[in-house]
Amino acid sequence: MLFNSLHFLLFFPTVCAIYYLLPFLKLRNLFLLIASYYFYMNWEPVYALLLLSSTIITYLAAIGLSMKKCKKRKKLILVFSLIINLAVLFLFKYYNFVAENLTSLLTNLGVAIQMPNFELLLPVGISFYIFQALGYLIDVYKGKTVVEKNFFTYALFVSFFPQLVAGPIERSTNLLHQFKVKHTFSYDNIMSGICMMLWGYFLKLVLADRCALYVNIIFNNVAFHNGGSFLLASLFFPFQIYGDFAGYSMVAIGVAKILGFNLMENFRRPYFATTVSEFWHRWHISLSTWFKDYLYIPLGGNRVGMLRGYLNIMITFIVSGIWHGANWTFVIWGTIHGVLQCIEKFLGWNKIKWNGINRIIHWALTFCVVCLAWIFFRANTMGDAMYIMKRIFTDIAMPYMRVADFLAIALALLIVFFKELLDEYGSKIRISDSPIWIVRHFYIAVMVAFIILLGVLNGDQFIYFQF
Amino acid sequence: MKNLLKSFLFILAVLFILDRAGGRLMWWVNQHSQDMSAPKLKYLADEVNEDMVLLGTSRCNFHYVSSILADSLTMSVYNGGIDASDCIFTHYFALNQVLRHHTPKVVCLELMVNDFKLTKNSFATISFFAPYIGRSEYADSVFREAGNYWKYKLCHLYRYNAKAVSNIGGLLVSRQQGAEGGYIPLPKPPFFPKKVGEAKTPTKVDTLKLKYMQKFINRCKEKNIKLIFMVSPAYTVADDDLYDVLKNVARANDVPFFDYHSRGLFIENPEYFKDSVHLWDRGAQLYTPVFAHDLKKYLIE
Repeated sequence: MLFNSLHFLLFFPTVCAIYYLLPFLKLRNLFLLIASYYFYMNWEPVYALLLLSSTIITYLAAIGLSMKKCKKRKKLILVFSLIINLAVLFLFKYYNFVAENLTSLLTNLGVAIQMPNFELLLPVGISFYIFQALGYLIDVYKGKTVVEKNFFTYALFVSFFPQLVAGPIERSTNLLHQFKVKHTFSYDNIMSGICMMLWGYFLKLVLADRCALYVNIIFNNVAFHNGGSFLLASLFFPFQIYGDFAGYSMVAIGVAKILGFNLMENFRRPYFATTVSEFWHRWHISLSTWFKDYLYIPLGGNRVGMLRGYLNIMITFIVSGIWHGANWTFVIWGTIHGVLQCIEKFLGWNKIKWNGINRIIHWALTFCVVCLAWIFFRANTMGDAMYIMKRIFTDIAMPYMRVADFLAIALALLIVFFKELLDEYGSKIRISDSPIWIVRHFYIAVMVAFIILLGVLNGDQFIYFQF
Repeated sequence: MKNLLKSFLFILAVLFILDRAGGRLMWWVNQHSQDMSAPKLKYLADEVNEDMVLLGTSRCNFHYVSSILADSLTMSVYNGGIDASDCIFTHYFALNQVLRHHTPKVVCLELMVNDFKLTKNSFATISFFAPYIGRSEYADSVFREAGNYWKYKLCHLYRYNAKAVSNIGGLLVSRQQGAEGGYIPLPKPPFFPKKVGEAKTPTKVDTLKLKYMQKFINRCKEKNIKLIFMVSPAYTVADDDLYDVLKNVARANDVPFFDYHSRGLFIENPEYFKDSVHLWDRGAQLYTPVFAHDLKKYLIE
């Protein structure tokens, strides 16, 4: 079920009404769990079994961890559970990619072995819920969080529908305890949640999906376009993916807020970053902090030698690239981000707070390199990505134009830019938070009307579901 | 709870007012816009009085030079092809808009595989005439058939969603530059298309589309209009039987069918094409006389 579907617009108010009508916390949690599984099963019902399996394995492993005192045994339980979960992820997401590359490598070496391929549909959001469950397990192992003994509460933590399929990847320390409190019906929470949802829908339907109309035409038909079109599409794609993903996160946070839950912030105006390192403090925060806490720091972080520090950065970002998908384009995308951060670290830029003209120069530089890296992320193949890069630098000509879409994108970008500029510089001016009741409500009605008129309302998928 | 109800009622009331007022404003915009499709639809609905009217999608819009046809056939011609309207439902609606006030002598319908092929969403391209809901019984009937009539009936702003930006943009910049008798010339592309793939005969046929094709033919018969079917050149190699489904319908109804795509006209001339399915102005200037010649011969016989 997509957030931007009519189905969800009927599902969510119904869930909300029943949730607040239920008198007991246990009943509420059980109801939310059933609703979450119903939400997930709308894609491919059978894959709910995977979600359930991952939940049961990590639940039992965590209970096992809390019962054992011996460090070795604890480690064994953790490793065993990690292997099973990551094996499931590997099978569904990476097996075919590895098999194809291995076959190709062996063929080149003169060994004619054909690795079998499986026609498996990638379960929606598998990387998100497995990472969330593994994060909890590692926290239990490290003693950072208390083991959850109630299976239903834990199952709800893994499958909570607002953030189940595309994050934010929540931490047990933030979310789990919220299921133990009976949230009272709050007018302020509901109105604030609605405003967040509306802004999320605006980002997705008015900005991202409009950019997608142009970007998809260009990136899916590279043989027919010139460098001008590639340049324009490469400038639109960063806003498409931002609108798509930040929009989803905003709707998710808003939905949870209405139910009384506070999810973590996932995006903080990433395109205002002045270094690539800062970009990663603002982009997909729940994933980048996950990698920081559960991969980068355990590898030694920056408290090791200089070269090892660079290696840790590279490993973290290559793995992050692979997390996004089984394609060399994602590996290269992650590698580029890793290399850029190593360069910044070497130059000491990651520690400088730029001001004035320097800030503008570094902002522009960061934006450009991030845009170039996105080309690898969006391109269908490595060949396409290289071809697009080459044409951008050698064949600038009049681009393919879609005047109406350009106007809509420009309008949406202008609105997003001013809103984010106000947020970035801490201005308190918010129509949505106006002290005047009529203004606040008028804003909601206008936003709805605006989305109905200018949104791309064809129920397109969110990009990050594929991860 | 009281506060929430009060808020929801207020928001709904404002939304209702915005929707109705916005709907009226957007209708005005639609009727005054100079974008690609709105002025043509308006002309077909209110003003067309030519002897011959061509209907179809962008391939009709960009491929038939009205003045060449008019000179050759010695009758007035209007090219009513509408960009991105590639299914029989939209042609059926456009024909009925014309017939409300005018009966042309000849109607030429440019066809595509989409006019009979079973697709994921048969009604994917009908939303551009949603502004006519409540204003045309034929628009209403097509949207009822599509099963989404109530959405448009309920929300007036939603009717303009598909073309809102295009309509607004059309107030600022005219997309009808160079238009003559409805024909809009396509500019020369930066580079010519490469041959990609082949146009394969679809295996699944949409019976609803064929039903509307028959309704289209019947409307022309009722009004004694000479109906012509044609498929203009495309830069893809087509299966010989690509349009057999439509050709059978044409044969059964005694409608001539001019197929230049399967025949491979211009298949060795990428320089006439803007992309694999559209001729640019030079291609159109060369193709229209070929069609005019064949049509004239047929009409005389």
